Amino acid sequence: MRRQVPLALCFIFGLVMMLAEFSPHPVSQGIRKEIIDWSLIIWPFALVLAVASLVHTHWIRIRRRAEYWQYSYLVFIGMIVMVVIGIPFGKRHPAFVWMFENVQVPMDATMFSLLAFIIASAAYRAFRARTFEASLLLAAALIVMIGNVPVGDFIWNKLIPFGDDLPSTARQWILDNPNLSSRRGIILGISLGVISQSIRIILGIERSYLGGGD
Amino acid sequence: MELFGVWVAAFLTLCIYSFLYRDNPFYRFAEHLFLGVSVGYGIVLSIHDGLIPFAWNPFWKAVTEREPAGLLKLIPIAIGLMFFARLVPKHAWIIRYPFAILIGVGSGLAIPNVMDASIFRQLHGTLVPFAQIYAGKLGPFEIFGAILMFIGVIATLTYFFFSVEHRGVVGGISKVGIVFLMVGFGSAFGNTVMGRVSLLIQRVDFLVNDWIGNTIQSLPF
Amino acid sequence: MLERLMNIDRRIIFILVALAVIIPTFLKVSFPITVSEPTRQIYTHIDELPPDATVLMAFNYGPSSLAELEPMAAAVLRHCFKRGLRVIGLTLFPDGATLGDEVIKDIAEETGAVNGEDYVYLGYRPGRIQVLLGMGSSIESVFESDYADKPLREIPMMNAIKNYDHIDLVLDLASSSSPAWWITYTNTRYNQQIAAGVTGVMVSELYPYLQTKQLVGLMPGLLGAAEYEKLINAPEKGTAGMSVQSFVHLLIVALVIFGNIAFFIRRRKEQ
Repeated sequence: MRRQVPLALCFIFGLVMMLAEFSPHPVSQGIRKEIIDWSLIIWPFALVLAVASLVHTHWIRIRRRAEYWQYSYLVFIGMIVMVVIGIPFGKRHPAFVWMFENVQVPMDATMFSLLAFIIASAAYRAFRARTFEASLLLAAALIVMIGNVPVGDFIWNKLIPFGDDLPSTARQWILDNPNLSSRRGIILGISLGVISQSIRIILGIERSYLGGGD
Repeated sequence: MELFGVWVAAFLTLCIYSFLYRDNPFYRFAEHLFLGVSVGYGIVLSIHDGLIPFAWNPFWKAVTEREPAGLLKLIPIAIGLMFFARLVPKHAWIIRYPFAILIGVGSGLAIPNVMDASIFRQLHGTLVPFAQIYAGKLGPFEIFGAILMFIGVIATLTYFFFSVEHRGVVGGISKVGIVFLMVGFGSAFGNTVMGRVSLLIQRVDFLVNDWIGNTIQSLPF
Repeated sequence: MLERLMNIDRRIIFILVALAVIIPTFLKVSFPITVSEPTRQIYTHIDELPPDATVLMAFNYGPSSLAELEPMAAAVLRHCFKRGLRVIGLTLFPDGATLGDEVIKDIAEETGAVNGEDYVYLGYRPGRIQVLLGMGSSIESVFESDYADKPLREIPMMNAIKNYDHIDLVLDLASSSSPAWWITYTNTRYNQQIAAGVTGVMVSELYPYLQTKQLVGLMPGLLGAAEYEKLINAPEKGTAGMSVQSFVHLLIVALVIFGNIAFFIRRRKEQ
């Protein structure tokens, strides 16, 4: 009941969806559409997991007086304010949009922009041509970095009398050729992995999604 | 109100940037507030654009109209409700049911589609240029590109092929694979730098033009 | 001296990076943009669509990648609206819902496009791949109403648009795996033409799909926005941003070269 039924459900739904992809018959297409509709209905309920996990983590932090536990109240305040405005008044209410644009957007955008500083510092400290492979990585990165910005072509065209727009052309060549080949190799490898993992899941060999316990 | 919003956004932006000096209460304040607000935003959107149209509306329709097609939708709604079992530790195992269905559907869809999109078509893309070479449609530079691509794909795949020890011919080919991978990762690094710097430029543009610029403009003198 | 330079406090590098952004932002310097082929392919594809064609734009990004993808979205929307193409907007991520709504409204107001006639904004639905597949049978089965909760059957523009058969191009503006979903589930199964505008982090990994024409074009981050702005002759945030970007890239390249010179000098001394 606790393990066998989920495994059976996974097998049935997986097999039906896979077969329906190959069969254009109206009945199999009807079943396929119905199952997709079912998944769409089930999906939003998964939200419960995300919220429950976050609330649980911060509730425990407050209860155990973990380091900086007082800040966990801010998580709840932020969440409650958004929910209290958004649920009754809707996602297009000016107050909800105001909170999103002036509180969430600037913090989210700034948080990720910190990486610009960190990447520059890391490049200075750790990006070394220690080996042949590292030199290749470094050279490709420098060419792409210079080719990506308009000043690369600008300086080249001003100073060098031949090979118009060479930096951006070289960047494009790297992306179109060696980059493409290596990415294709990776895509083929990952895709084979996805397919074999999917077969294992459907057949019930891979069961980690069931979690621990009985 | 608009300028007030800009000031709030600027204050929170500077709170986050204060982390560059070192971890401090302003950063922690902004970090936790951000987490709460973004989860709250996600909850509202998931209810208004997820649960209401996908679960509540079909439920209401099924209850009021009582048509067979509508009543059938009560089954997935009931399965979806099983996610709430997560809130009761003793019955948390019940969430395996909806999980199993979603994972089964995802896996069933992935097998044929991934095979087609990312294996067959990618292999096709690697070999098609050779047909074009045979038909005399490619110039010398393109022929070089096609051969290089073929070598790169084979060498990269060989590098990831761990069932055979990387010695002799296999070792040599996998070394060529490393060359391609390094150039690929280098180009990814170059593009990543561009991406991260773009985010910084936008924030500085906000602070310089929207915050300082608008504030100066709004001054009475 | 060399040791001190190599172990410089990282905050000094932070200040250099900040100055490399702040000073050019004030100076408003500008450099000519060279348009890359993958961006031009999207422009040409949209430019050659018949006047009654429909472009579906997926705003699959959140605030963390707004800086790269919103200028791109604005440029393509300007192009579509000026050409009189119909635009459908949607997102597979909750964070993209308000952002998509704002940008489509702003550009529609600027170009005179009318909601419900020239464009429809559907907003967000959870389900990702299932949303894409559901729209293959019927858009209305996934989006019963638009973002303002107006039923689709009451929107004139949607009378003739039922599923992918009536959509000429999907442009995915993405900061995560969504281009792969469109390619795998929409291009493969429904033969839908897909183009992508993505963050810098993701650009390299999508090139194999460009060569196989599973993607009709690819715009790389802020550079893609600047290139598209050049193609439609409407320089905006992308163009301005790329000029500032030039100085930061030059600084990082200089830092890397300097770091390596110092590294080799030290290694030689040690030997």
